[in-house]
Amino acid sequence: MKNLAFLNNKILKGNAKAANVFLLLTLLTACDHPAQNLSQEVLSNLDKSYPSQAGGTLIDAMIGEPSGLISMIAGESASSAISSNIFNRLLKYDKNLDLEGELAESWQISADQKTITFKLKPNLKWSDDMPLTSADILWTWHAVIDEKTRSPYASDYQLVKKTEAPDPLTFSVTYEQAYAPALDSWAGLQILPKHLLEGQDLHTTAFARNPVGSNYYKLDSWTHGENLKLSRNPTSVLGQAKIDNLVTRIIPDSSAQFLELMADNIDSMALDPIKYARIIPARPELKQKLALYKELGNSYTYMGFNLKHKPFDDARVRRAINYAIDKQEIIDGVYLGLGINIASPYKPGTRWSNPDLKPYPYDPARAKALLQEAGFIDSDGDGVLERDGKPFSFEIITNQNKEREKSAVLIQRRLKEVGIDVKIRAIEWASFISRFIKTGDFDVVVLGWSLGLDPDQYNIWHSSQQAPGQFNFIGYNNPTIDKLLEQGRLELNPDKRMKIYHEFARVLLDDSPIVYLSAGYGLTAIHKRVKGIDNPAPPAGIGWNSYDWYIPEPLRRSEAGRNEIAEN
Amino acid sequence: MIKYLIKRVLWMIPLLVGISLISFFIMHLAPGDITSNEASFNPKASEESRQRLRELYNLDKPVIVQYGLWLKRMATLDFGTSFASHQKPVFWQTKDKDGNVNKGLIQEALPITLLINVLGLMITLMLAIPLGIIAASTYNRWQDKSITLFNFIGFSIPGFWLSLLLMYWLGVVNNWLPISGLHSLNYESLDAFGKFKDSVNHLILPVLIPSITGLAGITLFVKNGMLDVFHQDYITTARAKGLSEHKVVYTHALRNALLPLITIVGLSIPGLIGGSVIAETIFAIPGMGKLFYDSVMMRDFPVVMGILTIGSALTLVGNLIADIAYAWADPRVRRGVVRD
Repeated sequence: MKNLAFLNNKILKGNAKAANVFLLLTLLTACDHPAQNLSQEVLSNLDKSYPSQAGGTLIDAMIGEPSGLISMIAGESASSAISSNIFNRLLKYDKNLDLEGELAESWQISADQKTITFKLKPNLKWSDDMPLTSADILWTWHAVIDEKTRSPYASDYQLVKKTEAPDPLTFSVTYEQAYAPALDSWAGLQILPKHLLEGQDLHTTAFARNPVGSNYYKLDSWTHGENLKLSRNPTSVLGQAKIDNLVTRIIPDSSAQFLELMADNIDSMALDPIKYARIIPARPELKQKLALYKELGNSYTYMGFNLKHKPFDDARVRRAINYAIDKQEIIDGVYLGLGINIASPYKPGTRWSNPDLKPYPYDPARAKALLQEAGFIDSDGDGVLERDGKPFSFEIITNQNKEREKSAVLIQRRLKEVGIDVKIRAIEWASFISRFIKTGDFDVVVLGWSLGLDPDQYNIWHSSQQAPGQFNFIGYNNPTIDKLLEQGRLELNPDKRMKIYHEFARVLLDDSPIVYLSAGYGLTAIHKRVKGIDNPAPPAGIGWNSYDWYIPEPLRRSEAGRNEIAEN
Repeated sequence: MIKYLIKRVLWMIPLLVGISLISFFIMHLAPGDITSNEASFNPKASEESRQRLRELYNLDKPVIVQYGLWLKRMATLDFGTSFASHQKPVFWQTKDKDGNVNKGLIQEALPITLLINVLGLMITLMLAIPLGIIAASTYNRWQDKSITLFNFIGFSIPGFWLSLLLMYWLGVVNNWLPISGLHSLNYESLDAFGKFKDSVNHLILPVLIPSITGLAGITLFVKNGMLDVFHQDYITTARAKGLSEHKVVYTHALRNALLPLITIVGLSIPGLIGGSVIAETIFAIPGMGKLFYDSVMMRDFPVVMGILTIGSALTLVGNLIADIAYAWADPRVRRGVVRD
């Protein structure tokens, strides 16, 4: 369940923005030099190279507290961020986003492509020393599809017709028909221990706050609203991680997080573009001790048309608007250059992204010509185009997200230049979803998609997915796309599958049901004490080898508390 | 007096039902429910599973039926469990059959908020009363004017701005105080004195900042109360019979001027319970303000209703106590009450 990252956990962004402006002002103008919590000796030795070494404590921060650590039912990304250190899955994605075994040693796909048989690694163990067998996997599958388990992610697993665990090391699943995203789904399901959870209600069980897993770390303590402490699991099935303890502090305000980072009290945090591109580069003592990383996520921001409303049913109009919007301007202005222009709904540089496609360039002349071709002419000379006596005017709706609001303003200006009148409305998330998206009562939205690693996007683009609450809320209906999506689901051969999705992205780009605005970089600052991090990030992101990150002994804090740091 | 008390307590029941009815409907008038946040817009989460969630939480039933169900549970003081995926009890802890305790959300958040706000209110009063007295006795002189200026500055500074400034100056530049949170990470390993010191260090900023920004109102209140009293005949009498100025101010004037403060403190009770979203967010304090704000954003109805009900009950009790305290402190009121 790696794609739990919601697009709306920006609830607190309002305060955070005001605070950010303040921080920016203070940090850019302040000329004093903060006393650091790590000794000067440590700080001046950060850039040396050190051999890899076990031990130490890494402290990071997150803005929200998990509700529990059973991620098949927990809705928030905070939960999976922690639980992925504790639980294993059958498969995982490697550095280059190819699938490899995690609990599974190997897997085989039957000739009819309907059955997948996993062979488990021998001698797997839970952190309470009980054996981990195929019975646990079978139980986890039963749990996720159980009516009583209110898992929002059950649909992939409900397609399984038959499961078998003939011996402790074998687990097989059979689907009604070949289902290509199946392997990805088994790289998402965190396996839970049957012996501790059988007969319990997963929603209320104490296990959710006191889990027993099999991965690199185990939970030591959880102080409500304050922190979660993990320590190395000595019986980890994947070998031993280098860093002894992982501490996650819950700090809801990103400015407060940043102050903690400046004071060496935390080692890493997610940054916004202002901190990444303006604040840190302007402060030598921060540049000296923080390493900055950027990585592309599997997400993008787009402007989507309601294709059931005129004139958006006309591909020429959609293409015209695509040409009229300067995406580079949005990336530079809103994301301070920390994003890229995309031409397909896949992460650039991965197998699924079609390298031959080019984004629509900014070309207002072409936009005007296309609009004229579609029948839009400024007949009364007021600067706004008309067709059949009606001016071309619409409203962009977006949720209260500063980046999206700013993007909408830039779009508004560019569209005005080609004679389209645009209004903007920003609405709180829950209202936005139920009042406008579910009812289809909108012209144009600016939103984002955060996707999984499997290329299947049936739920978003297939014409059958238009019921209220389903994800093709823009009403896209294209038989060619439908057919490609169906083929893609049935094809398990990665190379043949790749061709299908390259073609899918090409048709989609040409038809322009949405305008890709940008794919923003995920930005992270990590203290230079932490070594062994790949820079630049590989396709899977910097976190792919976090078990191999290490903190050399001379660069360690005495221990995790700030009092001790201050006293030493 | 007893009859009056019983009457007041009984009156609280229809009031509470009324408050809960209005809050329940306002909450449900807002578009969206828990499923619009939890798992919405995740292409892996299907609409069927969200519909199933809605049925399980009775969200598919008419609002009035949902209110009836809620009221029925409330009659047995069952605040229910949160709608969020791992359903913590809303109010008080529950125990499962293995003896594992699952703590309630309000149970965890309320003591923290109360501690911070009560400490804050005490500090505010401790500063505001002397400042008000000084300002009144030096009315229109430089002492009074500088107190007014100081108060206005405190009143006008946005709390979050002052917080961040002090966090930066005291926590980052000088490393004198912790920046955020309630405890250090090594709290468990400290001895009793160390734990106390650690807690105090963490509480200084969150307690002091609201006190400073809240100082202006109460100082002005005390000052105006004192000035009013100074014009009363009995103060003139006291001065005329040759009492020292000290005795006039502290024995005769102050006692009367402080009476209206009881009302002010009574009125501040909802704030003591409610907490502040902004302060709690900035200082990373898991208190009531943040809990309430997050629950509203998530449309987590049981938690919202639990906080509103407990909050209004405590507010009504607080008002009652303020009234009783008033009667106790002021014979005029007391006689009025008895005659009633």
